[in-house]
Amino acid sequence: MNTIDYVGERIWAGQLGNGFVVLSFVAALLSLVTYYLSVKDASFLKIARMAFNLQAIAVLGIVATMFFMLFNHYFEYQYVWQHSNTEMNMKYILSCFWEGQEGSFLLWTFWNVVLGLLLKKQLKDGVWEIPVMTIFALVQVFLASMILGVHILDYKIGSNPFLLLREHPEFSNLPFIQDANYVAKLNGRGLNPLLMNYWMTIHPPTLFLGFASTLVPFAFSIAALWNKKYTEWQGIALPWTYFGILVLGVGILMGGAWAYEALSFGGFWAWDPVENASLVPWLVLVAAGHTMIINKNKGGSLFTTHFLTIGSFLLVLYSTFLTRSGVLGNASVHAFTDLGMTGQLVLYVLAFIFISVALLIRDKLFQTTYIVISFMILFFSMIYGYSKFLLMFWMVSSAVITLFCYFKYFPKEKEEEDLYSREFWMFLGALVLILGALIITYFTSIPVINKLFGTEYAPPKIPVYNVWMIPFTIALMVLIAAAQFLKYKKTEGKKFLKRISYTFILSLIFGLVGAVPLYFLSDFSAADGAEKWNLISYALLLITALFAALANADYFLTVLNGKIKKSGAAIAHFGFALLILGALISTSKKVVLSKNTSDRKVSGLGAEFDEKKSILLTVGDTLPMGPYLVTYTGKKREGINVYFKVDYLKLNKDNKAEYDFSLTPHVQDNPRMGKSPEPDTKHYLTRDIYTHVTYADLNTDTLALSKDAYNPAKNYVGHVGDTIFSSNAIIIIDSLRTNISKTQYEKIDTMLEVTAVLRCVDVRSKIHMAYPRYVIKNNMIIPVPDIVDDLGLKLVFWKINPEAGSIEITMSERLSNTKDFIVMEAYVFPYINVLWLGIIIMAIGTFIAILERLRANKTLSA
Amino acid sequence: MKKIHILGIIVIAIAIGVIFISLKNTSTYADFTEAIANPDQEFHVVGKLNKNQPQIYDPKVNADEFRFTMIDNKGVEKQVVLHKSKPQDFEKSEQIVLIGKMQGDNFHANEILMKCPSKYNDGKPQIN
Repeated sequence: MNTIDYVGERIWAGQLGNGFVVLSFVAALLSLVTYYLSVKDASFLKIARMAFNLQAIAVLGIVATMFFMLFNHYFEYQYVWQHSNTEMNMKYILSCFWEGQEGSFLLWTFWNVVLGLLLKKQLKDGVWEIPVMTIFALVQVFLASMILGVHILDYKIGSNPFLLLREHPEFSNLPFIQDANYVAKLNGRGLNPLLMNYWMTIHPPTLFLGFASTLVPFAFSIAALWNKKYTEWQGIALPWTYFGILVLGVGILMGGAWAYEALSFGGFWAWDPVENASLVPWLVLVAAGHTMIINKNKGGSLFTTHFLTIGSFLLVLYSTFLTRSGVLGNASVHAFTDLGMTGQLVLYVLAFIFISVALLIRDKLFQTTYIVISFMILFFSMIYGYSKFLLMFWMVSSAVITLFCYFKYFPKEKEEEDLYSREFWMFLGALVLILGALIITYFTSIPVINKLFGTEYAPPKIPVYNVWMIPFTIALMVLIAAAQFLKYKKTEGKKFLKRISYTFILSLIFGLVGAVPLYFLSDFSAADGAEKWNLISYALLLITALFAALANADYFLTVLNGKIKKSGAAIAHFGFALLILGALISTSKKVVLSKNTSDRKVSGLGAEFDEKKSILLTVGDTLPMGPYLVTYTGKKREGINVYFKVDYLKLNKDNKAEYDFSLTPHVQDNPRMGKSPEPDTKHYLTRDIYTHVTYADLNTDTLALSKDAYNPAKNYVGHVGDTIFSSNAIIIIDSLRTNISKTQYEKIDTMLEVTAVLRCVDVRSKIHMAYPRYVIKNNMIIPVPDIVDDLGLKLVFWKINPEAGSIEITMSERLSNTKDFIVMEAYVFPYINVLWLGIIIMAIGTFIAILERLRANKTLSA
Repeated sequence: MKKIHILGIIVIAIAIGVIFISLKNTSTYADFTEAIANPDQEFHVVGKLNKNQPQIYDPKVNADEFRFTMIDNKGVEKQVVLHKSKPQDFEKSEQIVLIGKMQGDNFHANEILMKCPSKYNDGKPQIN
């Protein structure tokens, strides 16, 4: 069909890339099969290892080819064209790589390869190598298929990043494809401007390394079920689990930092489905890490550990499904668009649930029945189409079987856990984490629930999440504080309570000293019922978070005597408590500086509607805003960015305004991507002052406008009684006055004068009259315009349609009507640095714990 | 029964409790007709901007008030008062989700989500 000889296409690059794509899939498949065969016959192991290495080389090859194409602007390839262009700064080329879905799958595969190679080396010739690497290879087969881009029957498997633009189904009909020389003229569409931020170059790789690292405990857990070695794996898997907690946790908050600096929703966390989708696996992984320690120190919690390690990986898969299938639709602003892989993604999630449940069953006949029925359902669905009923039936029976296996196969402790034992409190903590994760998952999954049950529930808003999550966080804080002082197995209750009471009293005092002015002095009496509860819960969280921080500091100093090596947990928990403190104070005491100064009436619609947070700043004017005086001094355009300079002034002792600092929030005016505002923030140690422009005119140079400059006129056809809308008034055609009656009109052609009486009601309901005239003199129409000076409106009455009985009026607005202005929001985030400090301390603590665990494993095996 | 089992039951009870309580208070997707029938109840209404009707935003009077007309998916038209500043690129939006409630003749929204499909996928390659 296509007979055009295209010039300049670098076909070899795509062929090379595709070669690597196919190789990575085939090698992964080969390593899966040979690792599996090595269980019985060790002679396959050599091939398996080689195949895995080959897969690693292929993945590196894909990544290298893609980067080469991005760097050299091979725009004839759809992925390069869609995610980069020649004008962009090359430092963001990394972001181009993972902006698209295919690239982010590649990133994930890449980290799996890195972790897989490390693990392969660590486990070499041990009992765990074969089963763990089989699981790794299996996951790699699935991931490699995500970028295959082949069609089998009606099913599309994967989306290929090495497609030529003209081969891509969405773009192949474009007219320019007919031009044989199109390559030379082509430029890419460029990166989403929101991603041009340094956080965006490090957040996705960190996050995906976190996602990838959930695979390690998962692989161990499945391998243990498979080999029926239920306890021995936890020692080796524990440092890996901590590593996952560390990396995923840091990755999530890097996303928060990006949102805070580059997005304009005004905060670091918005409970967006995409954020939740990474938070939930983290919460579950943290719970898993804790039950693993319980198991290591005391035994027990076996089932829970399996359940949680498998769960966190399944939740990562589920989150990929949520964010990449398009199911979130209206619920999220930054989910990926649908690439038609929903079915494939669902199938992968289900496949891993299936594997986990099947291996949980120890009875051979039972296991075979489950496998056969599952496959029957799969084939049935493939032939007759998917059925909600079958899917739900399968899910429910898998859940029931899991529960059954828990009761049937897992050893139950004879003794009850002592109330005053560390394991009991740690287990409680894990339960709280699971419950929190469940609730967030449920809220986030509302669009999925709607799809399954045909309901119409809207996704919950931010306050709903906050209200539900605060009680869990309070419980967590108490557990974190207390658990450190408890010993495994048994602690003397009285002694423990006495020991812990000092820090508790101290945090109660500090907490109340802080909470009273923060939440109770001014806000409390003004709050309504629900808001009062919120304030009480804030105060409780403040006290308990302080308790958690102080107790861990106390433990570090007095019990551990400041020995860093042993203090990983204490430091990490201290950091986590700080993180919560920072999140609590910066969010609950976030102050809106930009109070709207309009005399707007209270709407009676509820508090959410009465939030006045936009301030209008006209160029040159100085307005009070919170403790500051602000002046908008003007804008300047640099490339596609328009910067708005806002000066902040403060009153000095003599009541004179003194310059304090300037902020320049900007709006990126991208012709292809639209306008996106980016905030600017003044950072102090104890607070941040955050501003962003919500509305502004980016184009008009308003400084040099004369009074006679008008916008293009708009024409209106109407009758008496009709209204015309201008940007600042409603204009009503009141009446028409004429020097002659209507019947005379047709006969007289020498002199006619009709005056339109226009009533212009401005936004303050003030009335301005305008009298444009329609004049016919000597067969000439000479309209006499009228100008409403106060409103900057020019009105011309220029036509009468006698048959329709209508008149035509044009209206134009003075350009200087729009004296340059911006609408801005400004907030203070107090103590947000405590949050960032918290995550750093937490990361350091976790890192120390990893080192300590590795050391312990070494001495154990030596 | 062991403590762990009691705790397990408590966890399940809380989870079910949260689901029921939140479902009771969750707003639902609806059209204008339903919102009109239930004034003062919060809904998410999906629709399109009516570009033939005026859009009034005068920050000099109130920077937190923007009026426009939306047509819901059933074709019902309503004047909307958005209690926020006018969103950037508003005219380009292909689909709007409003969160708010009916009061009087207007739908009052305190949040708006817009979909601009052209933003990332306009299908028109840039040729220099």
